[in-house]
Formats: sequence, C-alpha cells, structure tokens
Amino acid sequence: METGLLVQYIAIAIAAMASIAYVIFTQWPAATRRARIACALALMGSTRPAWMQRIGRRLAPAATNASTCGGCSSCD
Amino acid sequence: MSSTHVMRLALVGNPNCGKTALFNLLTGSRQKVANYAGVTVERKEGRLLAPSGRQYAVLDLPGAYSFHASSLDEAVTRDLCRGFYPGEPAPDVLVCVVDATNLRLHLRFALEVRSLGRPMVVAVNMMDAARRRGIEIDLDILQRELGVPVVPTVAVRRDGAHALVELIDALAPTAQAVAKPLEDHAPTQESLHEETRRLLTLAVSQPRRTAALDDTLDRWLLHPVIGLATLAVVMFLMFQAVYAWATPVMDLIEAGTGAFGEWVARVLPEGPLSSLLVEGVIAGLGGVIVFLPQIVVLFAFILALEETGYLPRAAFLLDRLMSKAGLSGRSFIPLLSSFACAIPGIMATRSIQDPRDRLATIMVAPLMTCSARLPVYALLIGAFIPRQQVGIFNLQGLVLFSLYAAGIASALAVSWVMKKWRRDTGEHALMLELPAYRMPHARDLLIGLWERVLIFLKRVGGIILALTILLWVLLTFPAPPEGATQAAIEYSFAGRIGHAMTSVFAPLGFNWQICIALIPGLAAREVAVSSLATVYALQAVDDAAATDALTPIISSEWTLAMALSLLVWFIYAPQCLSTLATIRRETQSWKQVAIATGYLFGLAYLASLVTYQVAVALGAG
Repeated sequence: METGLLVQYIAIAIAAMASIAYVIFTQWPAATRRARIACALALMGSTRPAWMQRIGRRLAPAATNASTCGGCSSCD
Repeated sequence: MSSTHVMRLALVGNPNCGKTALFNLLTGSRQKVANYAGVTVERKEGRLLAPSGRQYAVLDLPGAYSFHASSLDEAVTRDLCRGFYPGEPAPDVLVCVVDATNLRLHLRFALEVRSLGRPMVVAVNMMDAARRRGIEIDLDILQRELGVPVVPTVAVRRDGAHALVELIDALAPTAQAVAKPLEDHAPTQESLHEETRRLLTLAVSQPRRTAALDDTLDRWLLHPVIGLATLAVVMFLMFQAVYAWATPVMDLIEAGTGAFGEWVARVLPEGPLSSLLVEGVIAGLGGVIVFLPQIVVLFAFILALEETGYLPRAAFLLDRLMSKAGLSGRSFIPLLSSFACAIPGIMATRSIQDPRDRLATIMVAPLMTCSARLPVYALLIGAFIPRQQVGIFNLQGLVLFSLYAAGIASALAVSWVMKKWRRDTGEHALMLELPAYRMPHARDLLIGLWERVLIFLKRVGGIILALTILLWVLLTFPAPPEGATQAAIEYSFAGRIGHAMTSVFAPLGFNWQICIALIPGLAAREVAVSSLATVYALQAVDDAAATDALTPIISSEWTLAMALSLLVWFIYAPQCLSTLATIRRETQSWKQVAIATGYLFGLAYLASLVTYQVAVALGAG
C-alpha cells in the first residue's frame, strides 16, 4: 500500500475512533463514568507502580453530586 | 457569627419573578446544580463574592406561590425556608424576590415568607419593566410597612443587583437584625389578601390605561370561541411563515454546500479521505444544516409569542380540552417545552402535583413535535409536496401544520386512553398566572434565537458529525469482493444491516436506505437526514452527483406512499435514546420506560403500515 493511502486510512481510523468515543460519552454518560471509576480504582491500588497510578488519576472523572444530570447535552 | 462562616442566602419567590436570572447575575458561573435528597427537584447553589471580599453561599429555591404546598417544588421551598429540610442547614437570610409588574400576586407570598420570622430582604425585581409600564412603587413606604429591607433590582442588567449586594454586605455582620419577629400563628388567606391590598394602596400606583388595554385584549383572546379561533390562526400563520420566509436562505445554503463539496472534491486527491469528506461529512452535514432557516423562523414566532405574554393565555384556552383528555392544565407548559425538546419538557413535569397527571404528561411528551423532527419533515415535504398555493395558503406549510396537529391530537388521544384505563374521573383546577401583555424586545428575541442557532450548530458539529463519520465507515467497509457485480455499498456492513432490516420494515414501504438511517437517528432524529444524504452520496455514480442536494434525489427514487409512511413514523417513533433515559430518571422505573417505548414503537409501526398500505391502494405507491 502506498504511503499516501496509508496516511488517509490512519486519518479515517482516528476520526472513527474519536467519533465512537464521542457517541459513547454523550449517549451513555453515567455508564461511561462508572467504567472510568472502575478502571481508575483498579489502576490506583497501592501495590500498583507509580506510572499506573498516575494514569488511574487522569482517568478518574471529576467529583460531582451523585444525583446530578449525566450531562448528555441532549436537552440544550 | 464568626468571620469564617459563609453566610447562606436563599432566593425565594413566585415562579417567573426573575429569581433564577438574579441568581445567575449574583453567582455567574460559580454554580453547582444537583437534586434535593430523595426527590427530583433541582437544587442550585452558587457562590457570591461581594466587593467587600466576603463570600456568600446562594441557594436558588424552586418557585412557590404559597407555603400551602401543592407541588413537590413548593414543599421543598417551604421546608427549606423553615429550616426543616433534612440535610440542609437553614438559610441565614431569605431574599424574597418579587416581580414589580405583578405585586398583587407576589407580595402575598412575601408576606407569607415574612411570617416565618427569619432574617429577610425583599428584592423588587423587574423595576425597569414596571417603570416602562408606568407602575410607580414607593419602596420607602413598602419597606416601612413590611418592616424588612426592600431594594430594587433588574436581574437582566449587569449591575442590576448592585443595591442588593451592598445591602447584604452591610447586613452580614448583624443578619438577625433584619428578622421580623415571628407571628403567633400562620396568617390566613384572607388576612394575606387584605394586607396585600393595603400595601398596594399605600405604595403602588398602577396606570389605568395599561390595565384597561390588557382587559380588552383578554376579552377577545380568552373568549371560548374567538380566542380558540385566534390561537388556531396564529399557529397556522406560524407554519406558513416557516416555508414562505425560509426558502430563499435555504436555497443559498444548499447551493453553498454543493459548491463547497465540489471544490473539496477537486482539490483533494481521489481516495478514501476525499470520499469521507465529500460524500460523508459535507453531504451529511449539508443535508441537515440547510434546515437552519426554518428552525430560526419557527423559534422566532415561539419566542415572540412567549415575550408578548400570549402563551399562558393559550394554556388557559386549552385547559378544558386538556382536562377532558385526562391531562392537567399544568401539563401545558411541559408539553409546550417539548416542542423544543422532550427532555426539558419531561423534566418540567416536576411542577405537576398529581403523580398520575405527571406520569400521563411524561408519557405523551415525546409525541410533541420537537425541533429535531423539523429537518426530517422539511426534507420529505420539500421532496413530495408541491410548492403551490391553496387559496391564500402555502400547501407545504399546510402539511407541516397538519403534522404538528397530528402530534398534539395523538398526545390528547393517548392521555384520554390512559385516563379511561385508570378509571380516573377527578379533575384538577388550573391555577395560572397571566402576565401583562408586552411588546417583545428585539434584543431578547435575538438573544433567544442566537441560543437556538448555537444549540443546532453544536448538535451538527457534535453528535451529527460523529454519527455521519461512523455511518460512512459502515457504508464503505468492507470493500466489495473480486468480481462483484453489485454496487460497492451493497457489500458494506451498513448495506447488509439495511437489507436485513427490510424484512421487518418492508410492509411500511421502507427501503434499505431508510432502514439504515433509522439506526443513527436513535441518537438524534436529524441524523436520519444526514444519514440518507451520506447513503445516496456514496451510491452516486460520480463526484458531481455525490454533491447533489438530497431533496431531488429522494423525490425521484421514492414514492409518495413511502414518504407519507416515513413522515407518520417520525410522528410517533421514540427515535431518541436521551428522551427514554430522561423518562427513566424522572419516573425511577424501567417499567415506565418499557411502556413508553413499546406503545410509541407500536403506534409508529401500526400508523405507518396503515398509511403506506392505504396510500398504495389509492395509487400513490
């Protein structure tokens, strides 16, 4: 496969992955949040290496009140 | 009071007194929105940083007409003001916001708040509007008679709460000093009315001319026959204008996106990226953005009607009809909100006191024609309904009007069936505040329209763009096998899914392209339009054909029966996952979500089936 075509396919793959992430984050905000918390907790265990704990901290969603709107932005 | 104690202010008042505008003005973006524990009543708290450097916690309480609570919102406000709400400390100062243009109603509640004996300040809001209408309020007399500080505010002006902040800052160290001694017993309704009348006589002078004009207008506009006829004419004209005024701008946008697509196709080398941009993104998003002018015209009318004070009168006119159909008069505002989007409409049902009325309203709210349906309707009407006059009316506008009317009629019919199902014979009286008529401000209208435009563009650049890219991927991969005889799209994932779906949807007249468009349309209804645009662009024989507008393509490839069937499908189908999620959150029940989804899909399928088969039998297929 020639380089130009390869670059085009990589760009399309990045756009598709970003689109999937966007759709999941906006359509299932609460489930995404729960998944991020679960991953962060698994990565932030005291026995984990420091670099893994750093990733866990970055992955953890910001604290909010439990009963707030999930933020799908569909109503605005 | 220690210097580290953050004083808690609670904004309290009747609905629509400008409380939330004042809250926004005081707290800016320093807000935190949540729910009160155990109930779905919104709790808004923000921070106010006074010029003195003192910080205050400001709570925006739900609007209430009285402490004799008739809804969950009012009960929360009552308990919080009294300091009885579990987990919520009592506010240090109650800021009672009253509407200067409607003191007759708002002072009554201020007197009720005063009777609690808690530290209190009265903010007389909308002073600018009152002055414009010639209403004169002597704030000194009002302050003397009420026995609590009274300040003027204009919540929509940047420095409109200046006097209030200064007063609060001055009172902060001695907040208790502004408390009125607790009355021996709660005031009766009669004593509240009497005291309100006395205060109005002493401190307020109303211009006779304005009130007389309002009364004259109300005599006509609230008339059971003439009023309803006027409402029908207003709605009718609104939908006529959507077509008559928006078409020139739509043609411009359509030509612009077509030219842009051709330019991109010329500039980029042929390949998958060019196809994604031209046949996916530009064709897809261009197919949706072309309907922006129609959305602007529709919302210009709705905002203007809201600004003039006509909408609550429409609620009053329709109350009898709604109560016969098993809905409460309080359902009107949530259902009206659902014309923009069902989600705020469903959330607005929190103001409905009766749980069964509330559930009925939630269940029928998705039947109101939300703005996301407009691009779908506009596309199909533009393609199949000729642009011609019927008498003085535009035929396309007539069809759009009838689609909106069909949504309303269906909602009334469904709620009537629900009423019969639960054998409910009770009726709930409608208590409604009719604001004075006023000329809409051009600035407010423009701000409202600008917000709608931004919301639409945000959706186009967000969820619609993301789904269009994904659909293009599904329509392009995998590539056709060696020696394939059919079009490449037929071998794609989406092509195969679409063909599989036709076994269910063929009786409705849906081809595989429509079936494919229904799936991403579940995230946002408008995506159905961009999806159709992408599907047909990818099917096109060359680049020039790929940038063609969608309307002429479907008018040549579909039959009238198919278009009618799809229109009817979109009246009923719950093509919005966010709406279903909101029903779950508001009812706390998956059962209700299942009922809503089941009945809406069932209705959609049945109605589309009947429409298609009848249309085919009449020769439209």
